[in-house]
Amino acid sequence: MLTVSVKWQKKVFEGIEIDVTLPPYVFKAQLYDLTGVPPERQKIMVKGGLLKDDADWSAIGVKDGQKLMMMGTADEIVKAPEKAIVFAEDLPEEEQATNLGYSAGLVNLGNTCYMNSTVQCLKSVPELKSALSNYSLAGRSNDVDQTSHMLTVATRELFGDLDRSVNAVSPTQFWMVLRKKFPQFSQLQNGMHMQQDAEECWTQLLYTLSQSLKAPTSSEDSDAVKALFGVNLRSRVHCQESGEESSETESVYSLKCHISHEVNHLHEGLKHGLKGELEKTSPALGRTAVYLKESLIDSLPRYLTVQFVRFFWKRETNQKAKILRKVDYPLELDIYDLCSEDLRKKLEAPRQKLRDEEGKKLGLQTKSSSKDGDVKMTDAEAPSNESGESSTAAQQEGAGGSSSEKGTHMTGIYDLVSVLTHKGRSADSGHYVAWVKQESGKWIQYDDSYPSVQREEDITKLSGGGDWHMAYIIMYKARFVSM
Amino acid sequence: MAPVPDPNNVGGGAKRDEATTKVPSKDPKKKDDKKEDDLSEEDLELKQNLELYVERVQDPNPELQKAALESMRQEIRASTSSMTSVPKPLKFLRPHYGTLKELHKNMADSDLKKLLADILSVLALTMSAEGERESLGYRLTGSGGDIGSWGHEYVRNLAGEIAEEYTMRQSEEASVEDLMDLVKQIVAFHMKHNAETEAVDLLMDVEDLDLLLAHVDRTNFRRTCNYLTSSAKFLPGPDDMLVLDIAYMIYMKFEEYPNALQVALFLDNMQYVKQVFTSCSDLLRKKQFCYMISRHGITVELDSEMVADKDDRDMLQDIVNNTKLSEGYLTLARDIEVMEAKTPEDIYKAHLLDGRASSGPSVDSARQNLAATFVNAFVNAGFGQDKLMTVPSDAASGTAGNWLFKNKEHGKTSAAASLGMILLWDVDAGLTQLDKYFHSTDNPVLAGALLGVGINNCGIKSDCDPALALLGEYIDNEDSSVRIGAIMGLGIAYAGSQNDQLRSSLSPILNDAKAPLDVIAFAALSLGMIYVGSCNEEVAQSIIFALMDRSEAQLGDALTRFLPLGLGLLYLGKQESVEATAEVSKTFNEKIRKYCDMTLLSCAYAGTGNVLKVQDLLAQCGEHLEKGDIHQGPAVLGIAMVAMSEELGLDMAIRSLERVLQYGEQNIRRAVPLALGLLCISNPKVNVMDTLSRLSHDTDSEVAMAAIISLGLIGAGTNNARIAGMLRNLSSYYYKDASLLFCVRIAQGFVHMGKGLLTLSPFHSERLLLSPTALAGIVTLLHACLDMKSIILGKYHYVLYFIVLAMQPRMMLTVDENLKPISVPVRVGQAVDVVGQAGRPKTITGFQTHSTPVLLAAGERAELATDKYIPLSPILEGFIILKENPDYREE
Repeated sequence: MLTVSVKWQKKVFEGIEIDVTLPPYVFKAQLYDLTGVPPERQKIMVKGGLLKDDADWSAIGVKDGQKLMMMGTADEIVKAPEKAIVFAEDLPEEEQATNLGYSAGLVNLGNTCYMNSTVQCLKSVPELKSALSNYSLAGRSNDVDQTSHMLTVATRELFGDLDRSVNAVSPTQFWMVLRKKFPQFSQLQNGMHMQQDAEECWTQLLYTLSQSLKAPTSSEDSDAVKALFGVNLRSRVHCQESGEESSETESVYSLKCHISHEVNHLHEGLKHGLKGELEKTSPALGRTAVYLKESLIDSLPRYLTVQFVRFFWKRETNQKAKILRKVDYPLELDIYDLCSEDLRKKLEAPRQKLRDEEGKKLGLQTKSSSKDGDVKMTDAEAPSNESGESSTAAQQEGAGGSSSEKGTHMTGIYDLVSVLTHKGRSADSGHYVAWVKQESGKWIQYDDSYPSVQREEDITKLSGGGDWHMAYIIMYKARFVSM
Repeated sequence: MAPVPDPNNVGGGAKRDEATTKVPSKDPKKKDDKKEDDLSEEDLELKQNLELYVERVQDPNPELQKAALESMRQEIRASTSSMTSVPKPLKFLRPHYGTLKELHKNMADSDLKKLLADILSVLALTMSAEGERESLGYRLTGSGGDIGSWGHEYVRNLAGEIAEEYTMRQSEEASVEDLMDLVKQIVAFHMKHNAETEAVDLLMDVEDLDLLLAHVDRTNFRRTCNYLTSSAKFLPGPDDMLVLDIAYMIYMKFEEYPNALQVALFLDNMQYVKQVFTSCSDLLRKKQFCYMISRHGITVELDSEMVADKDDRDMLQDIVNNTKLSEGYLTLARDIEVMEAKTPEDIYKAHLLDGRASSGPSVDSARQNLAATFVNAFVNAGFGQDKLMTVPSDAASGTAGNWLFKNKEHGKTSAAASLGMILLWDVDAGLTQLDKYFHSTDNPVLAGALLGVGINNCGIKSDCDPALALLGEYIDNEDSSVRIGAIMGLGIAYAGSQNDQLRSSLSPILNDAKAPLDVIAFAALSLGMIYVGSCNEEVAQSIIFALMDRSEAQLGDALTRFLPLGLGLLYLGKQESVEATAEVSKTFNEKIRKYCDMTLLSCAYAGTGNVLKVQDLLAQCGEHLEKGDIHQGPAVLGIAMVAMSEELGLDMAIRSLERVLQYGEQNIRRAVPLALGLLCISNPKVNVMDTLSRLSHDTDSEVAMAAIISLGLIGAGTNNARIAGMLRNLSSYYYKDASLLFCVRIAQGFVHMGKGLLTLSPFHSERLLLSPTALAGIVTLLHACLDMKSIILGKYHYVLYFIVLAMQPRMMLTVDENLKPISVPVRVGQAVDVVGQAGRPKTITGFQTHSTPVLLAAGERAELATDKYIPLSPILEGFIILKENPDYREE
C-alpha cells in the first residue's frame, strides 16, 4: 500500500492510497471519483512518463509520499465546425477582386499611359458601364461603321476584364482597335509608339461611344453618352460695332478651363472659357468684324468634364508647350453662376432643398454644442424664401424637366470623382496617371499597372504649379436631391 | 656642516611656486638663463641650495656627500606632494641629472650610492628618455624604502616602467623576481590610496592577479571587483577567465555571495555555484540565489551539500524551477492594471489610419487570421486569458473552437500552440486548457497541442516532467507534423537541461534514413537547444552524421540550415571548444560547408565581444560570391552575435553594419536588418529605428520584411509609440501585399508583447550575464528569417514560437522573507557607468520614484528609496527578497 498525492489543475489531493497489487486502472477509477475525469481521459505523469492502464506498479517505482501530476478534463473535445470556413486565399480570382474594393490596373504597352488613364477615368462611370453592357451586336444601327463597333465592344470587354481581375490587365485588344479606328495614335518615334495627348484620346473615345451607343430609334434623348456627359451651351454672339446680336446653341462633352494670368481657380478659368472673341463677316458691315461670344450652360450633365487647357502650340519650338500655372479646383463644385437664366430658375428649388438638408445636419450638430447663432439666422430666412420660390420652381418643373429623372433633381453642385493628371513638360511626353474615387469613398491612384490608395487631401494637391502630377482632365459627378 | 634648509622657508617657496610656475620648456638650459632674473627670491635661494648640494655630492668627503643627498631628498620630498606641474626642485636639478648619473656610475657600492640612486630614480621621472626605464633601473639599485614617500606620480611612472620591463624580460625569459617585490609594494600603495584600477592594471600587466587577494579590504573590494568584471569584457583569450576567477574569490572572501554567484554564472562554473551555496548558511540568501539562477535559465539540481534540510531544499528547488514565475508576473500585471485581455484589433489600431483599412475584407483571410493568432499569443503571453482562444466555449457559437478553425491546415498548429503561449509559465492551467486538443483527430491541431505544452513549460521544470511524459510518445508518430510538434515542444521545454533521456530518443531520428528532412531539421534544432553551450560530443556527432547523409538536393532546402545551427548551439559562447567540430565541418559538401563554418564561428563566439572574430566575419561579408552561396547571411548575424555583449562593441558593430549595407550584395543586405534587430533587441535606439524604418520601404521585399521584423524585435515588449506608429503606417502601405502585411502584424505583436511587460533581451543582471537559452531562441528565429519566404511565410511559421525562450518579464518585484510581494518605494533611472570612479558615485540619473513592482526598461537601474529594508542582492532585477533593516528608525 502506497500513499501518494496527486496534483490536478490547481488542486492537490493528498493521501491517496494505491493498492500496488491492482493495475493502475483501479487507481484511475479512484481519481475519477475525485475529479470527475473519466479514466480514458486521464493522463498521469510519473517521472517523465505516462502511467499506462496495465503497467506494473513495481516497475514504475512510485515511492511512498510521491507527488503525481494528472492532466485531463471532462470538457467536450473540440470539433471542427460543420460548415468549413472559406478563406480569401481559396476564392477564385474574381471574388478576391471584389473583396479588394477597387479594380485592377492596366499594363503599359509602351507609352500607353494616356490611354490607360483615360480608360480608368471613364470606367469609374457606372452608367457608362451599364450602357455598354446593354450594347449588343443586334442593337447596332446601320450608320455605325465597323471599327467603331469594334472599339465599343473592346471597351466593354476591357471594363469587364478590369472588374474581374486582381492583377493588372493587359489592354492589347483595345489598343489595337483604338489604333485601327484612330490611326493618329499609331505614330512612331524612334521605333516606339509615341506618347499621345490624353485629351484627344478621351474625346475621340467618347465620340465613338456616343455614336455607337445611340439607340436604334436614333432620337436625340436616347444618346446615352450625351445624356451622361453632354453640356448644352446657349451662346449670345454680339458684335459691338454693328450692334448685331444672334444666339446659337451647341452641345459639348467638356468645358474648357482656360488658363491665363488672372486665373488661379477653376471657376475663373471656366468663366474665361465661356467667353470668347471671334472674327467673322458681318452681314451688316459687309466686312469682318470682331464678335463677342458669351456662353451659358443650358442643361447640366450627370458627369461634368472639365479640361484644363494646359497645352498650346508653340511655334518657335514646334511642340505643344505646357502651362504649369497652379489652378485650384474644389472637391465640391458649384456652377450655378455659369448657368443660363432658365436653368437657374430650375435649379432654385432643389438647391434650397439641399441647403435645408445640410442646414438640418448642421443644426443637429450645433444644437448639441448649442452656441451658434448663425445657423438660426439662416433658418429664420429660409421659410420666407421657400414660399416665394417653390411656386415658380413647380411651374418650371412642368415646363421641362428633361435633364432630371423622376423624383431626383440636379442641384448644380458637383462632386469630384476622377482626375487625370499629367506629369512632364509637354503633352507628347511625360506621364499620365488616373486618380479615381471609388464607391467606398477611397481614392485610388492608377499608375498603369499599380493601383494604390491615396488620401483625399492629396487629390486637391494635384493642381499644378510645379513638376508634380497636375490635373489635366477632371470629372465631377452631379449631386442630386430627391424632392 | 651643510646648512639644513629651513623647512618653513622651503614650504613657503613651494607654495608660491605653484601659483607662478609655467609649463616647463623643452630646452631647459636656454630658458633657465633667461629666467634667472624672473625667479623669486625663494626660488633663487632654492636653486642655489640645490646647486650647492650637487657640488657637495661630488665632494670626496662621504659625510658631506651624505648630508647633501639627505638635504636633496628632503627638498624633493617636500615638493612632490603636489603634482600640477614639474616640481621646482626637480626642475632645478634637471641640468645636473647628467652630472649625478656620471657620479653614480663611478661611485663605489655603498649606502651613499643607494641614496643617490634613489634620488636619480626620482629625477628620471622627468628626465629619462622614452623606453629607457631609468627610473626603474635606479629604483632597483636604490635603497628600497617606502615607495609612497616619493609621491603618487612617481609610483605611477614606476608601474608603467615595470610593465614594459616585464614584457621585455618575459620575451628574454629572464627572472622577474626583483620586479615582483616592487610590484607588491606598488599594489599595496595603490590599494591603500583609492587607486584600485591602477593596481589591477599593473597586476594584469605582470600577470599576477592573485596578489590582489592579499590587498583588498572591505572598503575597496567592490570597486576592485567592479573594475575586474568590466575589464573582463575587453580581455582576450584565457585572461578574462582569470580576471573573473579573481573577482569571484574576492567576492567570496568578503561574503558578497550574490555577486560571487553572478560571476560564477558568467563563468558557467557549476563548481563555483555550488561553493556559493555551501559557503552561505543563511537560508533567505539562498532563496535569493535561487531566484538569480532561475532568471539565468539554467538547470541546477540542489543537493544535500548545498542545502541540508530536505523541505528547505524542495522549496529552493521550486524557486530554481521557476514555478513561481507566473504568479509574480501576474502580480506585476495586476499592479500595473493590464490584466484586461487585448484583441489583435486593439493592437492594429486601424481606426487611427485615415479611413483606409477600416473597410476591411469581409471574408476571412487565412494569412491574416494566422497573423492575428500570433499577435494574440504574443500580446496576451502569460496572462492566462485572451479573447480568441480561451473564451469559454459554452456560448452557443463556441468561439474558442471557432477561432482555431479560422486557421487553415498548418495554421491550426500555430493556433493551438498559441494557447501554450497565453498560459505561459502556468503549467497547471496550461495543461488543463490544452487537454481538449489532445483528443483531436485533426493532426495539425494535435501537433499544435504538443507544441503548446512545450511552450507552456518553457523555463519551468517539474519533478513530474509533464512535457516529457506527454510529448515523449509522439516523437515517433507517423505524421510528420505531429512529430515536429512534439520535437519542437521538447526542445523549447527542455532547453538547456541536457536531459539524457531526450538525447537517447531524439538522436536516432537524426540518423534515420526514412525520416523526412523537416523532422530531422527540427530534431537537430531541439537537440541544439537542449544541449545549448554544453559542447556535448555525442550530440555533435549525430548532427554531423545527419549533415553528411543529406543528398545534394536536400542540402539546398531552406530547412537544412537548422542542422548547422543545431550544431552551433551546442557550442554557444564556448569559444575555442568549437575548433574540433569546425575542423570536421570543412569536410562537408561545399553547399553547406561555409554556412556551417559561419554558424559555428558565430555561435561559439556569441556574446564574447571578440574583435578578431568580428573582423573575420566582416571579411567574409566583403567577398563577392557566385550565385547560390548563402553563408554571408549567418556571417552578418554573427557580427551582431559576437559584438552584442558590451556597449562599445555594439556601437561599432552598428556602424560597420551600416557600411556593409551600403556596399554589400543583396544577400548581405537582407541579413543586416536582422543583425541590427539582434544588437538592439528590446532596446529601441533611435538611430537603429530610423535605419530600419528606411529599410522597411526597400525595393527588395526580403530586405523590407527583415527590417519590419527587426523593428518588432528592437521594440519588443516596450509598447514604443514611435515604432507602433511606424508599423501602423506600414500596415496601410503594404495593404495589398499579404506577405509584407503578415510581417508587419508579427512585428506589431512583438512590440506589444506581454502588453509591454516583457523583454526579449538575453542579457540580465545589469547586462553582465547572457542567458544561453534566450540567445538560442533569438538566433534560431533570426536564422529562420534569413529565408523568410520558405520558412515563416511557408508552413513552418511556428518557428516564431522559439522566441518564447527569450521572453522574460522586465520587472523588479520585491518580496518579503516569506516570499510574499511587498510594495516599497524605489528609484528607477538611467544606469550610470561607475567603473573606475572613486568614492561612492551615484549609480542612476534622471530617476523617478515608484513603488514596486516596477518595470525596468533597457539601460535602467533601480535602487531602494527607503532604509527600512535591505535587499539581499545588490542587482535589483527580477525577484528581490527584502529583509527588514534592524537599524532602521522611524522618523
